[in-house]
Amino acid sequence: MEFLLAETTGDVADLGKAIAFGVGVGLGAVGAGIGIGNIFGSMIQAVARQPELRGELTGIQWLGFALTEAVVFYALLGGLLAYVLV
Amino acid sequence: MRLALIFAAAEDFQPQHEFELPAFVPIHLGPIDLSINKAVLYLWVGALVTIVLGIWIMRFGLSLRPSRRQTTGEGLYELIQGQIAEGNLPSKAIGRWFPYVASLFLFIWVLNIVGFIPLPISSDKFDLFGLELPTWGIYAATANLSVTLGLALITFIATHVEGIRYNGPVTYFKSWIPAGVPKALLVLIAPLEVISQFMRLISLSVRLFANMLAGHMLILVMIGLIFIFSSYAIAVIAIPVATAVYIFEVAIVVTIQAFVFALLSAIYIGGAIEPEH
Repeated sequence: MEFLLAETTGDVADLGKAIAFGVGVGLGAVGAGIGIGNIFGSMIQAVARQPELRGELTGIQWLGFALTEAVVFYALLGGLLAYVLV
Repeated sequence: MRLALIFAAAEDFQPQHEFELPAFVPIHLGPIDLSINKAVLYLWVGALVTIVLGIWIMRFGLSLRPSRRQTTGEGLYELIQGQIAEGNLPSKAIGRWFPYVASLFLFIWVLNIVGFIPLPISSDKFDLFGLELPTWGIYAATANLSVTLGLALITFIATHVEGIRYNGPVTYFKSWIPAGVPKALLVLIAPLEVISQFMRLISLSVRLFANMLAGHMLILVMIGLIFIFSSYAIAVIAIPVATAVYIFEVAIVVTIQAFVFALLSAIYIGGAIEPEH
């Protein structure tokens, strides 16, 4: 442990930026994960109740999936911008 | 000591170097950089494959007893017509905008799928019996923000041009603001609606770009771990994970992203032509 502490000289700011980037993108992924889970859960329920609507619902499902999934990438891009610029 | 070794090796291999674009043929028109680089070559390959695929699937040997190729073409047509164009584009504009949406879907799908096939388009060289050959690697043109922004700009401009052409400028710009908003709130709502129009442009391009970038990055980092830690033991975990990501990307993400880009383009253009819809 002392060895590691002795090694960290100067690049503490980089370390903090890396941790912040990881935590930020991870939190973004949490939100998108919940959202995507919701979409597929609702889709399963909907098809179980009315199987004949499956064809119409599939398009909406994928649209919702992509819109929700994009949230992670906003977090990723924002994090990258902050990481590079700050 | 070992930590230092790891970081020394990590400097030799950096996955993000795969996304750098050194110019093969530098072309500079004043301040505009029109150099031919990796992304441009991938775009050309993608455009060529799209044209050949489209003509081959849709134009030859159509018969009443369809071959497998014709069935694929008809399935593709039905997917685009049923899921993307119908219900989103109004019937008066479907003849004009169906070709755009369909080619957008096919073009982005081909660009994405070409990005997952290793091709010898690279500025790095390797030596084979004295021959200098470009290294084989994966890179997608859509993993470049300029490409996706260009595609999104076409949709963005088409949306507003069609909105103004069908409704006239006054009705069209009024339609941005939701009906029944009190006059006092107009000052707050109007800038928000204008910003949201530009947010569409950003979200449309960034969604595709970041998806493809993240997919490629994940595969490259997983394979790269073997070189970074310079140990074959890592390969036992890294190769299956990279393969799983690759299959997930090729089987699902590639098609979904092309589908969603075309679908959102149809929704935006359709919404501008018939705002009350």
